Amino acid sequence: MAASIAPECNDIKEKYDTCFLKWYSEKYLRGNTTSNDCEELFTKYKTCLNVVLKEKGIDSMLEDARKSTTKEIDAETLRRG
Amino acid sequence: MKFFENVFTYDYSFPAVSLAYFLRYPNPYSRHVLTTDVIDRYVDPETKRLHTIRLHLKKSKVPSGILKLLPKGIGGSDSSGQSYILETTTVDVNEGWMKTESRNMEWTGILSVVEKQFYQRQPLDGALDKPQGLSLDGKMSEQTTVKTTVTFHSRFGQGKLLGRRTADTTGDQVGEIEDEAPRRGFFTSLSTAGIQRTIELIGLNRTRDAIAKSKQGMNIVLERLRGGGIVGVLEGMRQDREAIVGGDGPWKRVWLRGNADDDEH
Repeated sequence: MAASIAPECNDIKEKYDTCFLKWYSEKYLRGNTTSNDCEELFTKYKTCLNVVLKEKGIDSMLEDARKSTTKEIDAETLRRG
Repeated sequence: MKFFENVFTYDYSFPAVSLAYFLRYPNPYSRHVLTTDVIDRYVDPETKRLHTIRLHLKKSKVPSGILKLLPKGIGGSDSSGQSYILETTTVDVNEGWMKTESRNMEWTGILSVVEKQFYQRQPLDGALDKPQGLSLDGKMSEQTTVKTTVTFHSRFGQGKLLGRRTADTTGDQVGEIEDEAPRRGFFTSLSTAGIQRTIELIGLNRTRDAIAKSKQGMNIVLERLRGGGIVGVLEGMRQDREAIVGGDGPWKRVWLRGNADDDEH
Protein backbone atom coordinates (compact mmCIF):
# COMPACT_ATOMS: atom_id res chain seq x y z
CA MET A 1 0.00 0.00 0.00
CA ALA A 2 1.21 3.50 -0.69
CA ALA A 3 2.91 5.21 2.24
CA SER A 4 1.48 8.26 3.98
CA ILE A 5 3.26 11.60 3.94
CA ALA A 6 3.09 11.27 7.71
CA PRO A 7 4.99 8.12 8.75
CA GLU A 8 3.17 8.08 12.10
CA CYS A 9 -0.13 7.67 10.20
CA ASN A 10 0.99 4.67 8.14
CA ASP A 11 -0.64 2.09 10.39
CA ILE A 12 -4.05 3.68 10.53
CA LYS A 13 -3.82 4.56 6.83
CA GLU A 14 -3.17 0.94 5.94
CA LYS A 15 -6.18 -0.16 7.98
CA TYR A 16 -8.33 2.46 6.30
CA ASP A 17 -7.02 1.64 2.80
CA THR A 18 -7.71 -2.06 3.33
CA CYS A 19 -11.22 -1.30 4.53
CA PHE A 20 -11.86 1.03 1.58
CA LEU A 21 -10.65 -1.47 -1.02
CA LYS A 22 -12.88 -4.17 0.43
CA TRP A 23 -15.89 -1.85 0.56
CA TYR A 24 -15.22 -0.45 -2.91
CA SER A 25 -14.81 -3.81 -4.63
CA GLU A 26 -17.40 -5.80 -2.71
CA LYS A 27 -20.07 -3.20 -2.13
CA TYR A 28 -19.82 0.04 -4.07
CA LEU A 29 -18.87 -1.54 -7.40
CA ARG A 30 -21.70 -4.03 -6.97
CA GLY A 31 -24.24 -1.29 -6.59
CA ASN A 32 -24.44 -1.05 -2.79
CA THR A 33 -23.60 2.64 -2.72
CA THR A 34 -25.17 3.66 0.56
CA SER A 35 -23.10 1.84 3.19
CA ASN A 36 -20.08 3.56 4.72
CA ASP A 37 -18.21 0.79 6.47
CA CYS A 38 -14.94 2.69 6.76
CA GLU A 39 -16.13 5.99 8.21
CA GLU A 40 -14.67 5.39 11.65
CA LEU A 41 -11.23 4.39 10.34
CA PHE A 42 -11.25 7.33 7.94
CA THR A 43 -11.97 9.77 10.77
CA LYS A 44 -9.04 8.38 12.78
CA TYR A 45 -6.74 8.50 9.77
CA LYS A 46 -7.78 12.07 8.94
CA THR A 47 -7.22 13.20 12.52
CA CYS A 48 -3.70 11.83 12.38
CA LEU A 49 -3.00 13.25 8.93
CA ASN A 50 -4.39 16.73 9.55
CA VAL A 51 -1.87 17.41 12.31
CA VAL A 52 0.99 16.79 9.91
CA LEU A 53 -0.60 18.68 7.01
CA LYS A 54 -0.90 21.69 9.29
CA GLU A 55 2.67 21.36 10.55
CA LYS A 56 4.00 21.28 7.02
CA GLY A 57 1.75 24.13 5.89
CA ILE A 58 0.16 21.88 3.29
CA ASP A 59 -3.34 22.54 4.59
CA SER A 60 -3.45 26.11 3.26
CA MET A 61 -1.93 25.03 -0.04
CA LEU A 62 -4.63 22.36 -0.33
CA GLU A 63 -7.29 24.92 0.39
CA ASP A 64 -6.06 27.16 -2.47
CA ALA A 65 -5.73 24.27 -4.91
CA ARG A 66 -9.20 23.00 -4.12
CA LYS A 67 -10.64 26.47 -4.63
CA SER A 68 -9.07 26.73 -8.08
CA THR A 69 -10.37 23.27 -8.99
CA THR A 70 -13.88 24.26 -7.98
CA LYS A 71 -13.61 27.53 -9.88
CA GLU A 72 -12.67 25.71 -13.05
CA ILE A 73 -15.47 23.18 -12.70
CA ASP A 74 -17.92 26.04 -12.20
CA ALA A 75 -16.61 27.80 -15.31
CA GLU A 76 -16.98 24.61 -17.31
CA THR A 77 -20.52 24.07 -16.10
CA LEU A 78 -21.41 27.64 -17.05
CA ARG A 79 -19.94 27.24 -20.51
CA ARG A 80 -21.90 24.06 -21.09
CA GLY A 81 -25.06 25.54 -19.67
CA MET B 1 -1.37 27.00 -23.77
CA LYS B 2 -0.64 23.53 -25.08
CA PHE B 3 -2.64 20.34 -25.05
CA PHE B 4 -1.83 16.68 -25.16
CA GLU B 5 -4.55 14.19 -25.96
CA ASN B 6 -4.59 10.44 -26.03
CA VAL B 7 -7.24 7.73 -26.14
CA PHE B 8 -6.39 4.27 -24.91
CA THR B 9 -8.36 1.07 -24.34
CA TYR B 10 -7.78 -1.36 -21.48
CA ASP B 11 -8.88 -4.96 -22.03
CA TYR B 12 -10.36 -5.01 -18.55
CA SER B 13 -13.78 -4.30 -17.12
CA PHE B 14 -14.62 -0.87 -15.76
CA PRO B 15 -14.78 -2.08 -12.13
CA ALA B 16 -11.30 -3.60 -12.46
CA VAL B 17 -9.83 -0.45 -14.05
CA SER B 18 -11.35 1.89 -11.49
CA LEU B 19 -10.14 -0.31 -8.65
CA ALA B 20 -6.67 -0.42 -10.20
CA TYR B 21 -6.69 3.37 -10.39
CA PHE B 22 -7.08 3.67 -6.61
CA LEU B 23 -4.55 0.86 -6.12
CA ARG B 24 -1.98 1.95 -8.66
CA TYR B 25 0.73 3.19 -6.29
CA PRO B 26 3.21 1.79 -5.68
CA ASN B 27 3.99 -0.10 -8.87
CA PRO B 28 7.30 -0.78 -10.60
CA TYR B 29 6.82 2.28 -12.82
CA SER B 30 5.93 4.67 -10.02
CA ARG B 31 9.20 4.92 -8.16
CA HIS B 32 8.91 8.70 -8.30
CA VAL B 33 5.70 8.63 -6.25
CA LEU B 34 6.78 8.92 -2.64
CA THR B 35 3.51 9.12 -0.72
CA THR B 36 -0.25 9.05 -1.30
CA ASP B 37 -2.89 10.28 1.13
CA VAL B 38 -6.66 10.47 1.02
CA ILE B 39 -7.72 13.99 1.91
CA ASP B 40 -11.44 13.57 1.43
CA ARG B 41 -13.81 10.86 0.29
CA TYR B 42 -17.60 10.60 0.28
CA VAL B 43 -20.53 9.21 -1.66
CA ASP B 44 -22.89 11.94 -2.84
CA PRO B 45 -26.28 10.92 -1.41
CA GLU B 46 -28.11 12.32 -4.46
CA THR B 47 -26.03 11.00 -7.34
CA LYS B 48 -24.47 7.99 -5.55
CA ARG B 49 -21.16 9.08 -7.07
CA LEU B 50 -17.98 8.43 -5.12
CA HIS B 51 -15.82 11.54 -4.76
CA THR B 52 -12.19 11.22 -3.69
CA ILE B 53 -9.46 13.80 -3.18
CA ARG B 54 -5.92 12.50 -2.81
CA LEU B 55 -2.58 14.17 -2.29
CA HIS B 56 0.48 12.63 -3.89
CA LEU B 57 4.04 13.61 -3.15
CA LYS B 58 6.26 13.00 -6.16
CA LYS B 59 9.95 13.32 -6.80
CA SER B 60 10.50 15.90 -9.46
CA LYS B 61 12.90 18.52 -10.55
CA VAL B 62 12.29 21.70 -12.43
CA PRO B 63 13.76 20.73 -15.83
CA SER B 64 17.08 22.42 -16.48
CA GLY B 65 15.67 23.80 -19.73
CA ILE B 66 13.11 25.74 -17.75
CA LEU B 67 15.59 26.84 -15.10
CA LYS B 68 17.71 28.48 -17.78
CA LEU B 69 14.80 30.65 -18.83
CA LEU B 70 14.02 31.95 -15.39
CA PRO B 71 15.64 34.93 -13.70
CA LYS B 72 18.20 33.90 -11.11
CA GLY B 73 16.57 33.11 -7.82
CA ILE B 74 13.31 31.82 -9.24
CA GLY B 75 13.15 28.09 -9.31
CA GLY B 76 16.68 28.21 -7.90
CA SER B 77 18.92 25.43 -6.83
CA ASP B 78 16.93 24.92 -3.65
CA SER B 79 14.53 22.34 -4.71
CA SER B 80 13.63 19.76 -2.26
CA GLY B 81 13.14 17.88 -5.53
CA GLN B 82 9.60 17.06 -4.48
CA SER B 83 6.24 18.33 -5.55
CA TYR B 84 2.66 17.96 -4.43
CA ILE B 85 -0.04 16.76 -6.81
CA LEU B 86 -3.73 17.10 -6.03
CA GLU B 87 -5.91 14.39 -7.56
CA THR B 88 -9.70 14.51 -7.62
CA THR B 89 -11.73 11.52 -8.77
CA THR B 90 -15.44 10.98 -9.36
CA VAL B 91 -16.82 7.49 -9.99
CA ASP B 92 -20.33 6.81 -11.23
CA VAL B 93 -20.77 3.07 -10.96
CA ASN B 94 -24.27 3.00 -12.42
CA GLU B 95 -23.32 4.89 -15.55
CA GLY B 96 -19.94 3.16 -15.71
CA TRP B 97 -17.54 6.11 -15.83
CA MET B 98 -14.79 7.71 -13.79
CA LYS B 99 -13.44 11.23 -14.11
CA THR B 100 -10.05 12.17 -12.73
CA GLU B 101 -8.11 15.40 -12.54
CA SER B 102 -4.53 15.86 -11.35
CA ARG B 103 -2.74 19.17 -11.01
CA ASN B 104 0.51 20.47 -9.61
CA MET B 105 0.12 22.62 -6.51
CA GLU B 106 3.38 24.56 -6.66
CA TRP B 107 5.10 26.50 -9.44
CA THR B 108 1.70 27.06 -11.03
CA GLY B 109 2.73 30.56 -12.13
CA ILE B 110 5.60 29.12 -14.13
CA LEU B 111 3.80 26.07 -15.45
CA SER B 112 0.44 24.68 -14.50
CA VAL B 113 -0.12 21.12 -15.68
CA VAL B 114 -3.63 19.74 -15.42
CA GLU B 115 -4.25 16.15 -16.45
CA LYS B 116 -7.84 15.06 -16.94
CA GLN B 117 -8.92 11.52 -17.64
CA PHE B 118 -12.28 10.11 -18.54
CA TYR B 119 -12.66 6.35 -18.12
CA GLN B 120 -15.71 4.74 -19.63
CA ARG B 121 -17.13 1.24 -19.71
CA GLN B 122 -17.30 -0.22 -23.23
CA PRO B 123 -19.27 -3.46 -23.42
CA LEU B 124 -18.09 -5.57 -26.36
CA ASP B 125 -20.48 -5.95 -29.27
CA GLY B 126 -23.10 -8.56 -28.70
CA ALA B 127 -22.50 -8.74 -24.98
CA LEU B 128 -25.71 -8.67 -23.06
CA ASP B 129 -26.07 -6.54 -19.98
CA LYS B 130 -24.17 -8.30 -17.27
CA PRO B 131 -24.67 -8.01 -13.57
CA GLN B 132 -22.31 -5.45 -12.08
CA GLY B 133 -19.24 -6.67 -10.33
CA LEU B 134 -15.60 -7.34 -10.78
CA SER B 135 -14.69 -9.28 -13.86
CA LEU B 136 -11.36 -10.50 -12.66
CA ASP B 137 -11.65 -14.01 -14.01
CA GLY B 138 -9.76 -13.37 -17.20
CA LYS B 139 -12.71 -13.27 -19.56
CA MET B 140 -12.42 -10.31 -21.84
CA SER B 141 -16.08 -9.51 -21.60
CA GLU B 142 -15.62 -5.81 -21.29
CA GLN B 143 -13.24 -3.06 -22.22
CA THR B 144 -12.64 0.33 -20.71
CA THR B 145 -11.53 3.33 -22.71
CA VAL B 146 -9.68 6.24 -21.20
CA LYS B 147 -9.32 9.64 -22.76
CA THR B 148 -6.47 11.67 -21.34
CA THR B 149 -6.16 15.41 -21.85
CA VAL B 150 -3.25 17.33 -20.40
CA THR B 151 -3.24 21.11 -20.47
CA PHE B 152 -0.03 23.08 -20.08
CA HIS B 153 -0.30 26.70 -19.20
CA SER B 154 2.53 29.02 -18.37
CA ARG B 155 1.47 32.32 -16.84
CA PHE B 156 5.07 33.38 -16.70
CA GLY B 157 5.21 37.17 -16.99
CA GLN B 158 1.47 37.74 -17.36
CA GLY B 159 -1.77 37.09 -15.61
CA LYS B 160 -4.16 36.60 -18.44
CA LEU B 161 -6.09 33.36 -18.84
CA LEU B 162 -7.03 31.87 -22.17
CA GLY B 163 -10.18 29.86 -22.17
CA ARG B 164 -10.04 27.99 -25.45
CA ARG B 165 -10.78 24.29 -25.35
CA THR B 166 -9.63 21.56 -27.63
CA ALA B 167 -11.75 19.58 -30.07
CA ASP B 168 -12.57 15.94 -29.47
CA THR B 169 -10.45 13.23 -30.99
CA THR B 170 -11.29 9.60 -31.34
CA GLY B 171 -9.23 6.46 -31.66
CA ASP B 172 -5.71 5.92 -30.43
CA GLN B 173 -4.14 9.10 -31.54
CA VAL B 174 -2.39 12.05 -30.10
CA GLY B 175 -3.45 15.57 -30.86
CA GLU B 176 -1.71 18.78 -30.02
CA ILE B 177 -3.45 22.03 -30.50
CA GLU B 178 -1.62 25.22 -29.94
CA ASP B 179 -3.57 28.19 -28.80
CA GLU B 180 -3.21 31.57 -30.44
CA ALA B 181 -0.74 33.86 -28.80
CA PRO B 182 -2.40 36.46 -26.64
CA ARG B 183 -3.03 39.80 -28.32
CA ARG B 184 -0.68 42.30 -26.85
CA GLY B 185 2.16 44.63 -27.77
CA PHE B 186 4.49 43.04 -30.28
CA PHE B 187 7.75 43.68 -28.47
CA THR B 188 6.66 42.52 -25.08
CA SER B 189 4.73 39.55 -26.42
CA LEU B 190 7.75 38.36 -28.34
CA SER B 191 9.80 37.59 -25.28
CA THR B 192 7.13 36.66 -22.79
CA ALA B 193 5.08 34.50 -25.14
CA GLY B 194 8.28 32.89 -26.40
CA ILE B 195 9.38 31.93 -22.93
CA GLN B 196 5.92 30.66 -22.06
CA ARG B 197 5.76 28.53 -25.19
CA THR B 198 9.17 27.04 -24.48
CA ILE B 199 8.21 26.22 -20.89
CA GLU B 200 4.98 24.60 -22.09
CA LEU B 201 6.85 22.56 -24.71
CA ILE B 202 9.30 21.22 -22.16
CA GLY B 203 6.36 20.17 -19.99
CA LEU B 204 4.66 18.54 -22.97
CA ASN B 205 7.73 16.49 -23.86
CA ARG B 206 8.07 15.21 -20.32
CA THR B 207 4.40 14.25 -20.26
CA ARG B 208 4.64 11.83 -23.19
CA ASP B 209 7.02 9.69 -21.15
CA ALA B 210 5.03 10.03 -17.98
CA ILE B 211 1.78 8.93 -19.62
CA ALA B 212 3.40 5.88 -21.18
CA LYS B 213 4.83 4.89 -17.80
CA SER B 214 1.55 5.39 -15.99
CA LYS B 215 -0.19 3.07 -18.49
CA GLN B 216 2.50 0.43 -17.93
CA GLY B 217 1.97 0.79 -14.19
CA MET B 218 -1.80 0.44 -14.52
CA ASN B 219 -1.39 -2.66 -16.68
CA ILE B 220 0.83 -4.34 -14.10
CA VAL B 221 -1.69 -3.61 -11.36
CA LEU B 222 -4.50 -4.91 -13.61
CA GLU B 223 -2.60 -8.12 -14.37
CA ARG B 224 -2.03 -8.69 -10.66
CA LEU B 225 -5.70 -8.00 -10.00
CA ARG B 226 -6.73 -10.54 -12.62
CA GLY B 227 -4.25 -13.09 -11.33
CA GLY B 228 -4.85 -12.82 -7.61
CA GLY B 229 -7.44 -10.17 -6.79
CA ILE B 230 -6.63 -7.39 -4.34
CA VAL B 231 -4.46 -9.80 -2.36
CA GLY B 232 -2.44 -10.37 -5.54
CA VAL B 233 -1.89 -6.63 -5.96
CA LEU B 234 -0.83 -6.18 -2.34
CA GLU B 235 1.53 -9.15 -2.61
CA GLY B 236 3.02 -7.59 -5.75
CA MET B 237 3.59 -4.32 -3.89
CA ARG B 238 5.29 -6.17 -1.07
CA GLN B 239 7.61 -7.92 -3.50
CA ASP B 240 8.39 -4.65 -5.28
CA ARG B 241 9.27 -3.06 -1.96
CA GLU B 242 11.52 -5.96 -0.99
CA ALA B 243 13.20 -5.71 -4.34
CA ILE B 244 14.09 -2.10 -3.60
CA VAL B 245 15.05 -2.57 0.02
CA GLY B 246 16.97 -5.73 -0.80
CA GLY B 247 18.99 -3.68 -3.23
CA ASP B 248 19.48 -6.37 -5.84
CA GLY B 249 15.99 -7.17 -7.02
CA PRO B 250 15.05 -6.84 -10.65
CA TRP B 251 13.23 -3.56 -10.13
CA LYS B 252 16.22 -2.02 -8.48
CA ARG B 253 18.28 -2.95 -11.53
CA VAL B 254 15.63 -1.56 -13.82
CA TRP B 255 15.50 1.62 -11.80
CA LEU B 256 19.28 2.04 -11.85
CA ARG B 257 19.29 1.68 -15.59
CA GLY B 258 16.99 4.63 -15.85
CA ASN B 259 13.60 3.13 -15.17
CA ALA B 260 12.91 2.83 -18.87
CA ASP B 261 13.33 -0.85 -19.48
CA ASP B 262 10.59 -3.40 -19.08
CA ASP B 263 12.29 -6.45 -20.56
CA GLU B 264 12.37 -8.34 -17.33
CA HIS B 265 8.67 -8.31 -16.67
